[in-house]
Amino acid sequence: MPPMTKRTNEQWLSDLRAGGSQRETALVDLRADILYGLPYALAGWLSPDDPHFLALAEEVAQETLMRALDHLDSFEGRSQFTTWVHKIAVRVALTELRRRHWKDVSLDSLLEREEGERSPRAMADRTPEPEIAAEQADLLAHLQRMMTEELTAKQLRAMMAVGVQGMPLEEAARRMGMKRNALYKLLHDARLRLKRRLAREGLSAAELLTVFEYK
Amino acid sequence: MRNLIERLRRWIQRDGRKRPALPSEFLGKVARQIEATHDVEYSCDDVHRLLDQFAEAVLRGEDVARLMPLVQRHLDMCPDCREEFEALLRILKAGSAPA
Repeated sequence: MPPMTKRTNEQWLSDLRAGGSQRETALVDLRADILYGLPYALAGWLSPDDPHFLALAEEVAQETLMRALDHLDSFEGRSQFTTWVHKIAVRVALTELRRRHWKDVSLDSLLEREEGERSPRAMADRTPEPEIAAEQADLLAHLQRMMTEELTAKQLRAMMAVGVQGMPLEEAARRMGMKRNALYKLLHDARLRLKRRLAREGLSAAELLTVFEYK
Repeated sequence: MRNLIERLRRWIQRDGRKRPALPSEFLGKVARQIEATHDVEYSCDDVHRLLDQFAEAVLRGEDVARLMPLVQRHLDMCPDCREEFEALLRILKAGSAPA
């Protein structure tokens, strides 16, 4: 059952801004809300039965409360206050879990591994006509050339880490000394460059895809 | 389709027959991402600011793709933000479920 404390957004804000026991009670209730939500948030990431769950939940609740208090003024009241707090908790928790999961993986080791797998994986699941397979191979080669010509080394590196190896943006960004927000913008710029290059070649990505997906 | 293949053949002849070195799955994914790319896209920070509002709208069954298309588009492109949205939605669904 969700915690039964019901406050309006205004009550949450005034209680948390008040001193003494009013604030203490609100913090206890808010902490209970965060802890209630975490098992749902982390479903598929970390089971509540996992020995690490409790410690992580405590850590996340503490960090979330601190961040929420620090940023109370940025709450605009466009959602329930508790939804806003859960949003912070989710970011804190997943950032930590991503960090733990990828902690022993460097960007270079990822790319080196890729280097070892350089032979193009045949589109093995399908049995396209030989001529089409050759067209696909040519297209892939051309797309690859476009990427190396249009993208900076940093953009290519980020695309490989995120796109090939499935590294979270957050983790790729940390290894590249950037914020996740900046990495998203870098990747967006890379995609735009490729899209414009395609347009200059007289093709759209949609047309390209029809060949990729031709059976 | 045949016309397109012919156009493409002429287009790629400049490249010769060099085989791609990057995995084909990756290049296919890049092609799909290019197709979904827009000139203007929200960043992760833009989306994080709106994610609580967006998740509540989803929970209410609103047509968020129409109401907040830039958030929806970002979630389609950004795996990190999408995971966070899904996690938040699971909490909201649990909280709104009948006891």
